[in-house]
Amino acid sequence: MDTLFNKPQKQIFAIFSFLFLSIVFSSNHAFAQGGDKIFKQNCAVCHSLGSNTVTGPGLKDVFTRVPSEEWMHKWIKNNNALIAAGEPYAVKIFNDNKKTAMTVFASSLSDDDITAVMKYIKDYKEPAPQNPTSVAGGAAAPAEEGLNPLAILIGVIAFLIIIVAVLRGVRHSLKNLQNEKQGLPEEESVSAWTELKQWIYGHKRTTVVIILIILGGLLTSGWYALKDIGVYEGYHPEQPIAFSHKIHAGDNAINCQYCHSGVERSKVAGIPTVNVCMNCHKGITKGPTTGTTEIAKIYEAAGWDPEKGEYNKPQKPIKWIKVHNLQDFVFFSHQQHVKVGKQECATCHGEVKEMTTVHQDKQLTMAWCIDCHRKTEVPGMKNNPYYESMHKKLAEQYKNLPKEEQVITVAKMGGIECGKCHY
Amino acid sequence: MNKKATKIITLMAVFGCVAIAFTSCDKKDANSPGVEYMPDMYRSPSLESNMAYVTIKNGKETGDTLQVNRMPVAGTIARGFLPYAFADTPEGYEAAKVGAHNPLERNDKNVAEGKELYGKFCIHCHGESGQGDGPVGLKLPGAPPAYTAADKINMTEGELFQIITYGKGLMGPHKPLVSQEERWKLVLYVQHLQHPNGVTAPAADSAAVKPAPKMEAKKK
Repeated sequence: MDTLFNKPQKQIFAIFSFLFLSIVFSSNHAFAQGGDKIFKQNCAVCHSLGSNTVTGPGLKDVFTRVPSEEWMHKWIKNNNALIAAGEPYAVKIFNDNKKTAMTVFASSLSDDDITAVMKYIKDYKEPAPQNPTSVAGGAAAPAEEGLNPLAILIGVIAFLIIIVAVLRGVRHSLKNLQNEKQGLPEEESVSAWTELKQWIYGHKRTTVVIILIILGGLLTSGWYALKDIGVYEGYHPEQPIAFSHKIHAGDNAINCQYCHSGVERSKVAGIPTVNVCMNCHKGITKGPTTGTTEIAKIYEAAGWDPEKGEYNKPQKPIKWIKVHNLQDFVFFSHQQHVKVGKQECATCHGEVKEMTTVHQDKQLTMAWCIDCHRKTEVPGMKNNPYYESMHKKLAEQYKNLPKEEQVITVAKMGGIECGKCHY
Repeated sequence: MNKKATKIITLMAVFGCVAIAFTSCDKKDANSPGVEYMPDMYRSPSLESNMAYVTIKNGKETGDTLQVNRMPVAGTIARGFLPYAFADTPEGYEAAKVGAHNPLERNDKNVAEGKELYGKFCIHCHGESGQGDGPVGLKLPGAPPAYTAADKINMTEGELFQIITYGKGLMGPHKPLVSQEERWKLVLYVQHLQHPNGVTAPAADSAAVKPAPKMEAKKK
């Protein structure tokens, strides 16, 4: 009887089918995603590859801790099932981590994915510690300070006076030598002061001009010095933590209100609590310019232990220094300006997102306030039912004015009345 | 002629020196705010917010400072406070999944307000479209998962609210930053990002969860 295949053919078929199947299986392996990618997408949110705890325990040397790789596989797939089954190590891990359940990956990761990620964790080696110069360089940056120009000037003047005195002496002795040769009597030595007086007698007009210039300079600088009293423009104190608005609000585009969240509901915009810092810095432990030194100060204040990943130390307040201070005799509310007035933060604070240390950018004087109140409309007023009737009334009142004066500015609503800010 | 030239040069030199002398005095000490004249009315006798006050005893500064920003007195309740029934525990999380429902209506205004809040409080980590690609998110050890990931897209509104309130994984609690109503608006916008073509109450997809009655009504 003829079968479909005779014997040699059968063997070849068997070999081919084996090859085909093995290719299928191995390619299936190849299709599983790379372990590093899976780790980043699914695990890194809670686990670090070092020994520190993020939300879940650090995975360094994890395979020496767990009972077996098989156990690990089961745990990643469905840790709830293991705990529910009462497997002793699973229950221990669950209790050790404040009974916070790990995500179940049975539906989102295939067996091959889990194998791949386990291989990734096993093979992972911590990168060698980088040369710390880049870190130290950032911290030591503000070392060199320019010489005070005033000191330079005084030095130059002193040097010139010495040269003039020496030259006067040299000239005097040369003249005497010459006189001696010619048999003339020795020149009388005159003091510098007498000589200067003689020069002044000879150049009366020039002297008056010089005196006028000096006087004018003194008066103008005195005037500006008086105008500076109580104006903190340019004030940029060193803060207890070298927090850079440029990195946070500029490079990372974090909205001002994420940290200063009181700005729409309070008189003051508020300094964020350390809790807000920790929202990101639980994960970000190293900064681009100062490395870990400044971020460690946040952990210190929050009482956070980055190794164990828990708040187990006493908390300490950070003594931030307030840069923008308004005098006590003037009332200012952020809420009113930001919520209703719809003013940008930069209108009064300048381009903070470009400042490494915050400085007071605007004068914050009364003239400066009034100037803005005279020019600015209140955009939040038009569609706000609270102001509706008032807005209509004012529009009626000013409708006979020329077009450019019809704009209802803050000043026209009584925004420059004394009692509005001083009471 | 020569005399005149010397005169002009002398004048210019003197003027230059004077100008440098007057402008060079401007360099201020960065740590000092500047001169104050009669500061009695500058400084508030009452405690001002965001200031730390040094305590002085017997004419000497003591080490401790008085922080103005402090916890409210025990037992006091803030105006407009709304209690929230679910605790920050694994059990609370499971309960909130099915038990917490959005009191707000899904309408354009609420979603738009949610979007505005999202732009202030979420966007830097979760990215503009919720794919976890914000500038800060990419710097975290693990980027936040995309809202549309297979295991996230069907999260219930209660689950989303619970996560915003207490945080999850690397994400910190946002309860102190956004009020309860604002958090529900954020939930509306996150759901909008998950289902841009109209939310069909994702809660309804999972068998164990009953959709909020309000959402049900809205669907019709």
